[in-house]
Amino acid sequence: MNTFFKTFTGIVVGATALVASVTATAGDHLSLEGKKVGIAVVGTQHFWDREAFNGAVDTVKKLGGEVVPVDGGRDNQVHADNHDILLTNKVDAVISILGDGAVEPKFEALKNAGIPVFTVDHSSPHAVNNTTSDNYYMGTTIGRYMADSIGGKGRVAIFNAFEGALRICGIRAGLWKYVMQDYPGIEVIQPELAEAFANAPEDARKKTLDFLNQNPKGTVDAIHVGCWDQPAIGIVQALEEAGRTEIKVTALDGGPETLEIMAEENSPFVANVAQQPNVIGSTAAMNVARHFHGETLLPQTYVDVMPVNGPEEAKAVYEKLGYGTLK
Amino acid sequence: MATLNANSQSSAFNWRALTGYLPFIVFILMLGYLAVSAPQLLTTDSLDLILRQSVPTVVVCLGLAVVVIAGGDDVVAGGIDLSIPAAAVLAAAIMADQLTNHGTAFLPALSMAMGAAVIVGLVNAFLVVKVAMTPLLATLATSVATVGITKVVTSSRRINVDHPTIVSLRDNELGGLSVGVLLTLLLVLIFYFAVHRSKWGMSLQAVGGNRDAAELSGISVNRMLAQSFILASVAGGLASVFVLARGSGSSPGSEESLLLEMILATFLGAAFSPRRVVTLWGAVLGAVLVTALSIGFKSIGVNVFWTGCIKGALILLVVASAALATSKD
Repeated sequence: MNTFFKTFTGIVVGATALVASVTATAGDHLSLEGKKVGIAVVGTQHFWDREAFNGAVDTVKKLGGEVVPVDGGRDNQVHADNHDILLTNKVDAVISILGDGAVEPKFEALKNAGIPVFTVDHSSPHAVNNTTSDNYYMGTTIGRYMADSIGGKGRVAIFNAFEGALRICGIRAGLWKYVMQDYPGIEVIQPELAEAFANAPEDARKKTLDFLNQNPKGTVDAIHVGCWDQPAIGIVQALEEAGRTEIKVTALDGGPETLEIMAEENSPFVANVAQQPNVIGSTAAMNVARHFHGETLLPQTYVDVMPVNGPEEAKAVYEKLGYGTLK
Repeated sequence: MATLNANSQSSAFNWRALTGYLPFIVFILMLGYLAVSAPQLLTTDSLDLILRQSVPTVVVCLGLAVVVIAGGDDVVAGGIDLSIPAAAVLAAAIMADQLTNHGTAFLPALSMAMGAAVIVGLVNAFLVVKVAMTPLLATLATSVATVGITKVVTSSRRINVDHPTIVSLRDNELGGLSVGVLLTLLLVLIFYFAVHRSKWGMSLQAVGGNRDAAELSGISVNRMLAQSFILASVAGGLASVFVLARGSGSSPGSEESLLLEMILATFLGAAFSPRRVVTLWGAVLGAVLVTALSIGFKSIGVNVFWTGCIKGALILLVVASAALATSKD
């Protein structure tokens, strides 16, 4: 047993070292010298979008490429139209960050023009590769954490505007619901709530206040945001305004501003799953370089996430992701 | 003293004339700068892109131009209809919902969408003509209400549309021009003949020029005003088809940017007319130039927030210079 354990440990350590060394040198041969890479982002107001965008821009530049950036101003239509501009600019490749169904015909047009498309958080048949978080893990983990936070029973509301519009949200909210099937004591309040894509915190604050008026004290145990956590900022504000902080809040993304809210004393915001948007954007840029180097890419590249359960983990993850230190 | 007065009037006149042309001059300078900084803007690909992206704005501008022509171009008291983009987006939502979620055929879906848009126009006409509300406030109110109804219809969610008619409007070309652009051109011509070449159009312009004189010559001012709002809502309804084609579906919130571009384009268009009044051609040209400006700024990498800021400043410049140029003292 002891020998087996040692051998096993040896293999694991050896394999880890090998993987680490491969990862460390993986980028060395990559270059985007002489390449013009269009980077379309849906918006740069929110931390996640901005960081994914910055990660992609910095990496393309670091690899010697030229960046043609276009920003949708958190408007999916503008974001989709921006791809036309990249097409007329005759870029060598496009990295497209987020976007709804409106981008699909644009991707197709780019592909037909011989411009490879690399997506972030948007699976598309017209893209070479999509870099994203492990959305399956995110959806199930946040479902378990939320159920645990209310003792496995109660009435919960979900903000879920994008389950049908964005595949990543379909996965996250769909798997959250899959987990809920195993908690017969949990009732998901119908109809579901729908948050706005732009100005989400303020929009969610108003909608939560209305929701709380319709659902008096003692009738709601948790509010979950199905795909991201900008609305959760407004939800927490509304709960504090209405004196209803006994209601637990859970969401996904885990940027610095929401981790800070989670780390506050007696915060109703109890669970999250933090992503690494900068690494995601950077990985998408590396994938462009890998493609031009002749490597075959898998359809999806997954970037690790970090589950955050409670204020202490919020502080730890905040530090681990390099956002600073929280007391 | 009399000479002094005459001189001051004449210099005031020149100053006003110059003020009226200011937006035009600023715009031409901006476009010139963009063409130099981003030469790819002058390729046929880019010009085609500008035309295709300007289609929904052009169509809602047709509606606004009709209302302003009938109501007079005083921005506050004259004719204005802020609800056209909201009507367009409501019609788009109804059509998307019918096509995608209920499997309705294209024509019945379009009829329902047009019906909803026309109801918005009827409400506007009632509020302005019967209740005598200021068009600015009346149409602002209907706009807000219409956006609310759109949210009810869509539950604030996006609805994808892949109906072949919508897809062909988006993708198909005829003689090198997009089908959407050609249909829009046809609409522009229809509106042009209605407003500038028909007896009805003459009456409409007479009402906008001087209501009392129009009334004395036997034109029913109220009826013309009401019809202008209804025609505007028809333009909104028709724009919905292009909104759907452009976005491959309906998305909540798309009325906001459409509203901004419609106002900017229509009043900028006035700067292109010799008498600096809102005209159909001016509005259409304005819509195309505003789109060209948006695309140009993005092509030279101007931050999207600055683009919004510049557009806001341009609206201010256009509206302020129109007010100054037509002020009586």
